[in-house]
Amino acid sequence: MNKSGTDIQFAICGSAGDGTIASGDIMKRAAAAMGFHVIAFDVYPPEIRGFGKCISRIRISSEQAYSLKEQSDVFVSLNDGHAIPHVGEVRDYGAVIYDDHLIAPVAEGGHISAHIRPAQIPYGLPIRQISEQATNAARSRNIVVLGYVAGLLDLPAEAFRKVIAQKFASKPAVVTESNIRAFDAGLEAGRGVFRYDDVAVGAAPTAADGEAVMMTGNGAIVRGFLEGGIQSYFGYPITPATSIMERLAVELPKAGGRFLQTEDEIAAISATIGAGFAGSRAATATSGPGLALMTEMMGLGVMAEVPAVVVCSQRGGPSTGLPTKTEQSDLNLAVHGGSGDAPRIVIAPTNVEGCYRCAGMAFEIAEKYQVPVVLLIDLYLSNRYETVFPSDKNVFAPKPREVPKVKEGEDYKRFVLTEDGISPRALPGDAGMMYTATGLEHNELGKPSDVLHMEMNAKRHHKLKSAVNYPGLTTSKRFGDMGKVDVGILGWGSTFGEILETMFEAQAEGISCSAMKVVMLSPLPEGELRAFFDDCKVVLVPELNYQGQFANLVSGAIGRPVVRLNRTIATPMPVAEILSEVRRLAAEVNEPVAAAAGGV
Amino acid sequence: MAEPHHHVIIGSGSAGFGAAKTLREGDPDCRITMFTMDAIPFYHRYRLPEVFRGRTDWRDLLAKPPSFYEENGITLRRRCRVVDVDGSAHVVSLAHQETVPFDSLLVAAGGRAYLPENLSGHAHLIHGFGSFEAAMRVYNDLPRGGRVVMIGGDMIGLDLLLTLLDTGYRVTLIVNAQTFWPHELTAEQRAPLLEALRGKGVDVIENARAVGISPQNGGAPARRVALDDGREIEGDVVMAFCGLATSVEFMLRAEVDIERGLLVSPELQTTNDAIWAAGDICQIWHDGEKAYKFYHGWKNVRVMGQLAARNILGAHEPFDVDVEDRIWVDEDGEIQSTFWTRKP
Ligand SMILES: Cc1cc2nc3c(=O)[nH]c(=O)nc-3n(C[C@H](O)[C@H](O)[C@H](O)COP(=O)(O)OP(=O)(O)OC[C@H]3O[C@@H](n4cnc5c(N)ncnc54)[C@H](O)[C@@H]3O)c2cc1C
Repeated sequence: MNKSGTDIQFAICGSAGDGTIASGDIMKRAAAAMGFHVIAFDVYPPEIRGFGKCISRIRISSEQAYSLKEQSDVFVSLNDGHAIPHVGEVRDYGAVIYDDHLIAPVAEGGHISAHIRPAQIPYGLPIRQISEQATNAARSRNIVVLGYVAGLLDLPAEAFRKVIAQKFASKPAVVTESNIRAFDAGLEAGRGVFRYDDVAVGAAPTAADGEAVMMTGNGAIVRGFLEGGIQSYFGYPITPATSIMERLAVELPKAGGRFLQTEDEIAAISATIGAGFAGSRAATATSGPGLALMTEMMGLGVMAEVPAVVVCSQRGGPSTGLPTKTEQSDLNLAVHGGSGDAPRIVIAPTNVEGCYRCAGMAFEIAEKYQVPVVLLIDLYLSNRYETVFPSDKNVFAPKPREVPKVKEGEDYKRFVLTEDGISPRALPGDAGMMYTATGLEHNELGKPSDVLHMEMNAKRHHKLKSAVNYPGLTTSKRFGDMGKVDVGILGWGSTFGEILETMFEAQAEGISCSAMKVVMLSPLPEGELRAFFDDCKVVLVPELNYQGQFANLVSGAIGRPVVRLNRTIATPMPVAEILSEVRRLAAEVNEPVAAAAGGV
Repeated sequence: MAEPHHHVIIGSGSAGFGAAKTLREGDPDCRITMFTMDAIPFYHRYRLPEVFRGRTDWRDLLAKPPSFYEENGITLRRRCRVVDVDGSAHVVSLAHQETVPFDSLLVAAGGRAYLPENLSGHAHLIHGFGSFEAAMRVYNDLPRGGRVVMIGGDMIGLDLLLTLLDTGYRVTLIVNAQTFWPHELTAEQRAPLLEALRGKGVDVIENARAVGISPQNGGAPARRVALDDGREIEGDVVMAFCGLATSVEFMLRAEVDIERGLLVSPELQTTNDAIWAAGDICQIWHDGEKAYKFYHGWKNVRVMGQLAARNILGAHEPFDVDVEDRIWVDEDGEIQSTFWTRKP
């Protein structure tokens, strides 16, 4: 992407307590305020609490970008011990910024300058000294370097000053003032430097898409929930879903809703299903280990046809696994988890904007299909920041409910077998519409009975069929070359950003290539998938799990072979790896038959 | 397995670079670390005037691409200033507080422009030309067709001067004792050379000394140079080319003999067995003249770097201290020098 215009990635690395993430936060907000598109992802220490390494990476571009870049253009070290292993990620002729006045002696190799490759450009400055001179403390080193970068790259300083002022608005004024001083001191240092790097920042695009808002995937889900009319939230904290709960704890009561932190995940899903049964727009959020605990009650939701929304933000598994690392290995659990044939809707947005839209529509979908809806994301999407352009008016506002009508003298059949499988749903309290809701198989009235087990199973599956065409929801979409292509890349969830970037690069290399994202994982948009497979000589499925869970799902559903690319590397899928696989496949499908058969 | 020998080189100019390359060729297993204060890998300084011919991307001036260092196992430490060499512990200390041990040390730290005492108070008004950065500052500050007032005019300046004339700029040359340095000339020897410069359009000022420089705030041209005879010369940029002062200050604890430069034997070894020196920084013993002599110019310097490396690896080759020291005007009116070679 971004063949012209601005496309730079800024990375800052330090120790917990250095203000690394805060610095990255100011950078991303300032860039968004300048009008750039921003994608950002912060990496915290491997332990959930601790004093380990923090890295904030921010991609700033004039055109929409879809993933972080593998190489950063500007890299700042606030702690050489942590930063040294990462300095290699800076591209040739990119800038490496570091403190060249250490306070304690180090042995050979202990300073980052020993690790800067000859094509990278070193920018040493006395970061600590500048901070101390400007503010009487070393605390503002993270702000000094922001000023330095702004000066070096000639970025509009005012945008930073505004964000700094906003960030410290709740603190005494002296805090803002001293941070502005630190920023200005860094700015002056940066402006005076002769530049050898070739990092270019052009003018920001004119804001045609409305006002940009910086959001994480989790933040976008909260906003979508609130606009979608969430009324109840029950949750139990777990990385990386906790921030959804924390935000709703503040926002939901303000919006007139109910928030409850339960004693565990089983209680959370139970309360969510209970509230859904009672007609409340209810949600919970968890990660793989929590979803595993929730599956039994999800089954009740399926059987009793109760709407509920469950967010699952995946992390490395199984078990406690890698709590602070991303992975896509809960697909099986989300789609199939639980006892019996328990179809549910699983929606996996691929970017932050998608989180917002899918969360905004999730309650309506859950209510229409009377089933739990799982929003399946992952740590990389939960925590990554993107600029989103939400519409001014709330497009997800709940529509008035239609109360079912029952003919005089007839019983209300809560589970009546209809053509589309969807039965009119009454809520407790609707006059004359009492019914039994149970986890037992039941007849149309809801009374326990095994007579209609086959029909009820068919109903529960059949009713979801039309969800793949749900109006306003992108359940799948194809990108790149249309019609027949050599290589198709099929993906889901956060990895799709890397897939799109790969596709653009492959196209630029002349490879005939197309990419398709599947947002609805259950039910699968099988028609679209078949058409995609028909058009592609070979289909590659990159995903962040070991088993190829999505590849299995797709090939099981439509019976077509796929080429798998599975990685469990605790980081997002590297574009370079997908690209090399695409290159290999493109060469393979174009090989003359004789050569492919081993002939001469 | 024994640790590989660690050769440390201070300086990545012609001398340091030539030495690193020769060390690697001579010993594939050794460890080589080269320190420089530059931000970029080795480039030929004699090519700096080319910025006035539009070569403003530093990458075009590099002697070797950055990948060369990685491919040859040469650790190039840029923006690293050596502040101390402990000659008995064999440790180099860097300004940012890192210490690096060495088995052998080659000092090839060159020199910086020498500024006569009476002008040192005006240093901030004088443009340098010792690095790409400095060259670009001159290029950016000099309006098209503008005038450079050059004080001294050593051989480094001469090269720039000729390029400036060739690219449509104007030059005023205030002659002093260092004009045509490192060649030492009498007034008679200097006369035909100055005449050649006049013939090329240089405004040559003799018999007057620059005593002050003042800015013309906001006005053009930006500088005014006061002469001791009361005259004032205007220019857009003032530059001083008065020879070099060697960079030896970090060598005071190195247990080596220092005069104006580091004193070395014809084999380029200092008085410390583990330390050699090459390039603009060193004075080499001339047995015939019973004196230590400087040998400047990129060709001499490169030979020294290569020679020092071979000797570090065990050879015993002397530097040819009798290289000719001569400057003249050839039949085409061009100034030629035995030290100063135009093209590599
Ligand atoms: C503009 C210009 C034009 C020239 N034109 C010509 C020409 O046309 N023909 C010709 O023959 N010669 C020319 N020369 C001269 C020739 O280039 C020099 O003789 C040669 O550059 C000297 O090489 P050197 O390796 O000894 O030192 P330098 O090239 O000066 O390199 C010194 C190195 O030491 C490093 N250093 C210094 N102090 C420290 C420290 N404390 N810590 C770490 N590193 C340090 C510096 O950063 C640098 O890398 C020119 C020189 C200049 C500046």
